[in-house]
Amino acid sequence: MGTVAWIIPVSSIVAFLIVALGQNSSRKLPLITLFATIIGFIAFIVLSNALLQNGTQTFEITWLKTKEVMLIWGITLDPLTVTMLGLITLTAAGVQMYSLVYMKNDSRLNWYFAVHSLFLASMITLVLANNLILIYIAWELVGVCSYLLIGFWWEKRSAAEAAKKAFITTRIGDVGLLIGIILLFTETHTFNLSEIFSAASDGEISQTTITFSTLLILLGALGKSAQFPFHVWLPDAMEGPTPVSALIHAATMVVAGVYLIARCLPLFELSEISMTILLVLASITALLGGVIALVMTDLKKILAYSTITDLAFMMIALSCGGIVPSVFHLIIHGFAKAALFLGAGSITHGSGETDIRKLGGLKNKMPVTALCFSLSSLSLIGIPPLGGFFSKEGILEVLNHEYGIPLLLIGLLIAFLKACYLGRLSFFVFFGKESKSSSNAHESPKLMLLPIMLFTTLTTLSGLLLFSYGKYDGFSMFLNQEAAHAINFLHPITISSILVSLIGLLISWNIAKGKSIPGINILMKSKAIQVPIRNLFYIDNIYQWFINAIILSFGRIIALIDRQVVNDKLVDGTASILNYSSRTFRYLQTGKMYNYALGMTFGVAGLAVLNIIWQFIL
Amino acid sequence: MELIYFELLSAMLFCIGVYGVLARKHAVLVLMSIELILNAVTINAVAYATHVDGAGITGQIIAIFIITIAAAEFGLALAIILRLYAQQSNANLDEANRMKW
Amino acid sequence: MSGEVVVFTIVSAMVLFGALGVVSTKNVGHAALYLLITLISVAGIFILLLAEFLALVQILIYGGAITIVLFFGLMLTRIDEFSSIKDTVQRPVAIVISFLLLSAIATPFLQETLTEKSLVESSLRTLGHELFTQWLIPFEVASLVLLVALIGAIVVGKDD
Repeated sequence: MGTVAWIIPVSSIVAFLIVALGQNSSRKLPLITLFATIIGFIAFIVLSNALLQNGTQTFEITWLKTKEVMLIWGITLDPLTVTMLGLITLTAAGVQMYSLVYMKNDSRLNWYFAVHSLFLASMITLVLANNLILIYIAWELVGVCSYLLIGFWWEKRSAAEAAKKAFITTRIGDVGLLIGIILLFTETHTFNLSEIFSAASDGEISQTTITFSTLLILLGALGKSAQFPFHVWLPDAMEGPTPVSALIHAATMVVAGVYLIARCLPLFELSEISMTILLVLASITALLGGVIALVMTDLKKILAYSTITDLAFMMIALSCGGIVPSVFHLIIHGFAKAALFLGAGSITHGSGETDIRKLGGLKNKMPVTALCFSLSSLSLIGIPPLGGFFSKEGILEVLNHEYGIPLLLIGLLIAFLKACYLGRLSFFVFFGKESKSSSNAHESPKLMLLPIMLFTTLTTLSGLLLFSYGKYDGFSMFLNQEAAHAINFLHPITISSILVSLIGLLISWNIAKGKSIPGINILMKSKAIQVPIRNLFYIDNIYQWFINAIILSFGRIIALIDRQVVNDKLVDGTASILNYSSRTFRYLQTGKMYNYALGMTFGVAGLAVLNIIWQFIL
Repeated sequence: MELIYFELLSAMLFCIGVYGVLARKHAVLVLMSIELILNAVTINAVAYATHVDGAGITGQIIAIFIITIAAAEFGLALAIILRLYAQQSNANLDEANRMKW
Repeated sequence: MSGEVVVFTIVSAMVLFGALGVVSTKNVGHAALYLLITLISVAGIFILLLAEFLALVQILIYGGAITIVLFFGLMLTRIDEFSSIKDTVQRPVAIVISFLLLSAIATPFLQETLTEKSLVESSLRTLGHELFTQWLIPFEVASLVLLVALIGAIVVGKDD
């Protein structure tokens, strides 16, 4: 089974090398990438079967072994890993199929697919890894691929800037992650996760270490999953091609942070402080994302902020210890967001517009896209019996269980906001009066619609995962050996969550139609509220000020030192000293033999005299 | 006759030869001084052969070789000096300074 | 005062006299003759050291061949001031250095104590035997050196 697991990243790496090295040779190379991904999916099926039969397994190949440190290519095949494998390979396959059509006229198509392969390999390694160093390596690689793909159209200045912003923002988190890993290593002398967890539960790690390392790992997760205060890169990352946004910035890379915390949950549960901070930051992020999404007008930006909100939702669930609802929501969100992003790409492809104000009534011209988009939105909003309902329920339930009514109200508020902005998006774009761009729109090709339909189906029907089939005892038992709680439709939480979503949909329906609702009107018209939100609460401005004032001025000082001290004095100075001394000393070469003979004799005589003096001294 | 006398004689001859090499301007005179040096060394070697227990006859053998090599070197050096003379029509080392700074 | 010491003093005085003459005379031809005196006196020293064959070789080769070659060399490099040549500028320094060197060399000699043996007569037979068994290879190499020097001198001295 270890070989089967390793085939997935290795096949993608091989695909990467082939496609990257043969970039200029053939236009058919992207099929190699797709092939490798499908191999990955088949491997996932095999592995999930093996998991159900045999339980969790671990495979290790030792790479480097010294007295203090061992670097191991280690895989752990446990339910969490296999779940993630399924999500990642399937989304990647669908997105790559979509890209074959969407990007087919691009001149650098081969490089695009090469980086896709590299990304898949790194992401798979990240979820397969059983030790922190391998996770870190894969973490960084995934960040690199994200950088390469966001800046894929680097000729556009804004895309290059966005890629840089993404990389640097996540880098700050990555530093924290590395320090956290090393901190854990100093106490446990291992990178292996299961060893660390058993050491922690045995009480061998000091509480301060646990707190600090979990806080630092949290830092890394916040960076990668675009939570406050690191959320600034995700909306800008929409500069990349739409399939990239679907795969990396919705379904796979950004969930790496959630995955990491889910993996390290045994460690996190030992530190109250980290869990609380996670809860606070995630709640702030969710509300922030939700509010900003309400005023955005670009198709992909709304979806980006929606991603931020949903990731925050997953983080909130984790901070209450609810790994099952969190991961379940991860899967549902993954497929749904992928469908939404691919649908957005379809809309852009069909109508040439990205501004929702310029679109309307698109369902007439693009029925399939409209249906899939709406269904996925409904699933995400959490309308029963679509899959998202169950995950939302689970999260709200665990939130109530841990923290009671106050946090439950926040959760309901988040759900309400989700309904509002997703509803607003769909209603503006697909329903209502047809705009000029809409009337000229056409439905997208079949190959583009197929992945969207696949993902929509998966997200709507994913409620079925909760039931038992054969050896599979339902998602809750499968993931965490805990019994699933029954959905009671008469429970106040359930009722209020459905109610809240429906109210949100209703409000956004009316806003889209142009009717004015008294309370909402004030919010929409008041400048004091609208201006800060539209400026993204000035967070980007604060960061830019900080960079300019502190980092760049520091950089200028360093550059000055480099130019004047290192270059002029040290490098050029050494050269000029040599020059000067050689010009002075060359006069020793008189050309006359007896001068040279004198020198030699002087040397010999001097040494001999010194020798004698030395003997007399000693 | 003790060893020390021969050693001292050899040393003095050596130093006179060194002085000659450094102080003479004409190339052939320098060559003569070099001969003095070689002879000093020969005296030393032979003295050791005769006076030191266990040195055998090695010193005299060395002396033979020194004389041989000195002769060879003398001839060759003169040939070079003649070339020098052909260049600058006198054999003064003062004027043979073209390989200078 | 044994006879040996007297003879030694006289011969070594001649050696040093000749040597000093070589390095300080203003007349080039005289310098060559002083060299001859030195070489012959050194042969005398060899006799004192019971190395008669070496003394013979010394006189033959040095006094015979080398001195003649020396005179030829002097004549061929037609010196204008044959009878009064000047020394180089670094004469004072050279004197100082030589004294320094002398003291540096002599001091260890004055301190050492090698086991002395009574003078042993070494016969020509021993010399020959050693030369052709123990020291065969250097002997052959020396002959090669002579050959090379011969050819070299011809080549260098050619007037192309």
